[in-house]
Amino acid sequence: MSELGLQVGAVALGSAGPITFGPEGILFLADNDAATIFAVDVGDPGAAAGAQPFDLEDVDARVAAHLGCEVDDVVIRDLAVHPTSHNVYLSVQRGLGADAQPVLVRVDALDGSIADVALDAVPFAAVTIADAPAPDDERVDGILWPDAGGEELHYGELALRILRQPIRAATVTDMAYVDGSLLVAGLSNEEFSSKLRRIPFPFRDEAADTSLEIFHVSHGKWETAAPIRTFVPYDSGRSILASYTCTPVVHFALDDLVPGTKAVGRTVAELGAVNRPTDMVTFVDGGEEYLLVANTSHGLVKIACADIDAQAPLTEPGEPVGVPREVEDLQGILRLANLNGGYVLALQKDEAGHKHLRSLKTASL
Amino acid sequence: MRVDVTGVAWSHVGGEDCIRLVGVAPGADVRVRVPPAHMVGELPPMAGRLIADGDDRCFVPRFPFIPGTAYAVVVDGETVAELARPRVERPATAEVLEIHPAVSEVPRNLLRIYVTFSGPMREGVAAAHVRLVDAAGVAMHDALLPMEPELWDGSRQRLTVLLDPARIKRGLVGHQELGYPLRAGERFRVVVDGAWLRVPHEREYAVIDDERRRIEPERWIVRAPAASTREPVEIVFDRPLDHALLARCLRVVGVDGVGRAGPEDRSWTFVPIDPWPAGAHSIAVDPVLEDLAGNSVDRVFDRDLADAADTPRTPGPVHLPFTTR
Repeated sequence: MSELGLQVGAVALGSAGPITFGPEGILFLADNDAATIFAVDVGDPGAAAGAQPFDLEDVDARVAAHLGCEVDDVVIRDLAVHPTSHNVYLSVQRGLGADAQPVLVRVDALDGSIADVALDAVPFAAVTIADAPAPDDERVDGILWPDAGGEELHYGELALRILRQPIRAATVTDMAYVDGSLLVAGLSNEEFSSKLRRIPFPFRDEAADTSLEIFHVSHGKWETAAPIRTFVPYDSGRSILASYTCTPVVHFALDDLVPGTKAVGRTVAELGAVNRPTDMVTFVDGGEEYLLVANTSHGLVKIACADIDAQAPLTEPGEPVGVPREVEDLQGILRLANLNGGYVLALQKDEAGHKHLRSLKTASL
Repeated sequence: MRVDVTGVAWSHVGGEDCIRLVGVAPGADVRVRVPPAHMVGELPPMAGRLIADGDDRCFVPRFPFIPGTAYAVVVDGETVAELARPRVERPATAEVLEIHPAVSEVPRNLLRIYVTFSGPMREGVAAAHVRLVDAAGVAMHDALLPMEPELWDGSRQRLTVLLDPARIKRGLVGHQELGYPLRAGERFRVVVDGAWLRVPHEREYAVIDDERRRIEPERWIVRAPAASTREPVEIVFDRPLDHALLARCLRVVGVDGVGRAGPEDRSWTFVPIDPWPAGAHSIAVDPVLEDLAGNSVDRVFDRDLADAADTPRTPGPVHLPFTTR
């Protein structure tokens, strides 16, 4: 693993965030409390799996049982499928509030058994995603931190502790690995921006990271920034489809994403008012690539990538909007991941609030 | 066969929390479970290990017992005890320190609200406790953007709440169908409540017209200090600006000191640590600085492509010069 820059140690995971697999079974874990992304060799014990489906009823109750807590104390933040064993990894928060604890859970794809992945002695690397101030930035925050360390400044008879701290980090909303780079979308809790960060892997120094601001145009009239909620690469990583907090589905050509320039995406669909995308995945069926968008208001939305490429930028508001799509009668889907060539794995919440892992046969979607 | 256990209790072994079993046969199968809320078939037992402590057996969990949770102890398939972990009752001491913007009037296209609490809050439940209420006391549904994950600052004391951008941005379906979350000329309140708060907190606003202009620092008034004093330099803005961004977007180049936003975030003062050297100085403005509607120094929030006034400025630093008196 040395060629990937991993070293054995304890992963000090502070919070459970998005996860995604990269090369050679490396799992990327975003820790939003620490503004850090870890790359971890999870040492998956499974053999190469076939193309069979995998379903597990009440996965939340099973995880709760293993973790020794009530099901309400389990928050499943994200889902990833190991590329060869097809074991399912869940980014889980156990407990609420100050006692909340992040746990990486592995669900065995053969028998559905639950295990937690020990992170105290594993090969890993880490990269910080804080927007650190430039070296010549002499700013003093002017924020007073009573007990936070920092340096003490005297102003009249007042002694103030001033912390020169990095600019607030982004909260990671989604990640994907493409061809030597980890793409990271995030939200700021302050400025309204839409940054897509590209971090080379193996991780190098921070200077190797690039980020760019992405805009979208609605109906040919208005151009705005928009934080990306979820995104998925397709067309062998040449294109990205991103969905925003405000529902448009927007296309970018990855080659166009040149750091330091403004990238304007092409809005290809809108998912409707008071609707939020929750996850996206692509799959290939019959030689054609398709996109699935899970969202909070409708069933699963399926879009042919060929239609995206053919879709002119939206210029007229109104329904139906954008590329042809099908709304599958699949409600309550929270997360999606490719299981194998024939199935997409969904984390689905039923009407009673119980969560299940369900395989969706791509040929039937 | 009857299972013979003489005692089961919370205990410690080797400095760790455990469930201690007294009088269990050496080869017995011991498991600990949290009884599920609904029947789901065979569930795995709680992860942990069994340690012999003298004649006792101690179950040490891999993950800590959670206060308020009941644990069933199963020996050779038979439940021999159910222990409830004591609930830690914490008095409701937290309070809301401030809701920003701390102004009386906000533009109809208000984008962002900050709620600052007196202590660290739990993540994931804000949506149920922060809401907008109209003048008639009716909750304004779909006004706020549900966030997952929620946007907390590093100390988990300040929550950022966005009004649904899809309803503010012109041209999107949300805006077309539902219109702005706020209505100009009307009043509304931001209400924060919850059992963990000592008292509920709210702030009332009047809604005025949209703010759609880019921030132009050239329009600000700069009041220069006298040389060789530690008088503040003061900037007066042409509108209230974003409270959080103000804390980090303005600085005096090459001078250490303390910057502070003024009332209603309509001004900013900076007091140097050492007296001002006589001569020219410069205030650097980070162009990400936004107003209450998300318009920044660089660009308007949603740009009308047909309106030349909305053209973004050429990116780069902004400097406001001033000379000491």
